[in-house]
Amino acid sequence: MSVLPWATAAWLFAVGIYGVISSRHYVHLIGCLTVIQSATYVVLLSVGYRFGSVAPIFYTRPPSTPAVDPVLQALVLTDIVVGATVTALLLALTLQVHKKRGTVNPERLRPLRK
Amino acid sequence: MTRKVRLLIAALCALLIAPAIAVMILRMPSFGHHPLPYGDAINHATVAERHVTNMVSAVNFDYRAFDTLGEELMLVAAVTGTLVLLRGRRGESVSDRAAQAGSRPVCERSEAVTLACRLFLPLIVAFGVYVILHAQLTPGGGFQGGAIIASGALLLYLGESYRLWRRLVRAQLFDRLEAAGAIVLVLCGLLPMVRGAAFFENVLPLGQTGALISGGLILIENAGVALAVTAGFVLLLVEFLEETRAAADGEES
Repeated sequence: MSVLPWATAAWLFAVGIYGVISSRHYVHLIGCLTVIQSATYVVLLSVGYRFGSVAPIFYTRPPSTPAVDPVLQALVLTDIVVGATVTALLLALTLQVHKKRGTVNPERLRPLRK
Repeated sequence: MTRKVRLLIAALCALLIAPAIAVMILRMPSFGHHPLPYGDAINHATVAERHVTNMVSAVNFDYRAFDTLGEELMLVAAVTGTLVLLRGRRGESVSDRAAQAGSRPVCERSEAVTLACRLFLPLIVAFGVYVILHAQLTPGGGFQGGAIIASGALLLYLGESYRLWRRLVRAQLFDRLEAAGAIVLVLCGLLPMVRGAAFFENVLPLGQTGALISGGLILIENAGVALAVTAGFVLLLVEFLEETRAAADGEES
């Protein structure tokens, strides 16, 4: 079962990429982008995991208790926060595209010309 | 490029890359059994070194505070970009005016919704403050707590009215709060240098392990991050909700 976490991450990444390629709507495309991003959460947390250990919080336990890797968890925290705000930025861009071009279908958009 | 061609190219690329990915997956370190040297070093040293019990906060706000500064500035940049895009067309001058609901029918809120929102708003805000204050002890911190408080603020809109939400949540105040949060974090990095310490070195007294006020600079950095995240998320909510309103007279829609 040791390949399951990595395979899950690869699957999430592939599904997200397929969604981006075949997207007909920018909001859908941004959703697919967050699916791709969630693959990185799975990889990071799986790398930091260790069987038979606790969360890296030593409020009620001595620091010698085996615990999972806090560095990877801090990375995932960063990942999630930045992902949320960048999603907001992308959605704002989508609104802008809709106002200027009247469509949010990537296939209908042509390069801007003067 | 048509959709069919694009999918065909993607399928070809996938066929090329798939074996490489399969090999990579099979050769990854065995899940749950491989060594974690950095994490172990932090787990063993931090409680004695920094007097905090939440290792994730210690990594975020002390050992790698420099990276958190980058993350925080990225967040502020993304929020600013969103505000510029959404507010730009409406104009800065109207950013603080309550909007009309426009052509949407104004639905009467059921009393149950209003009651639930009034009950839960203070609870959610209190929980958010708790999560922020206990970052150095238990799971939580400025990022998580800030997001909780911002989502609690949305209950004002859900339970009361759009007008009240806009009256209480002043966009220009939150603009300043967000900047203040970022400035607090930058100062936490720069001020230790005045004393001859390194950037973001924890120069404050560390306090007693397990106490609410412990961890020195971690507490203040955390407050700065909480301020910036709360204000940033609230501003995003304000601006996206503004998008649904109707334009007032003489305004670009």
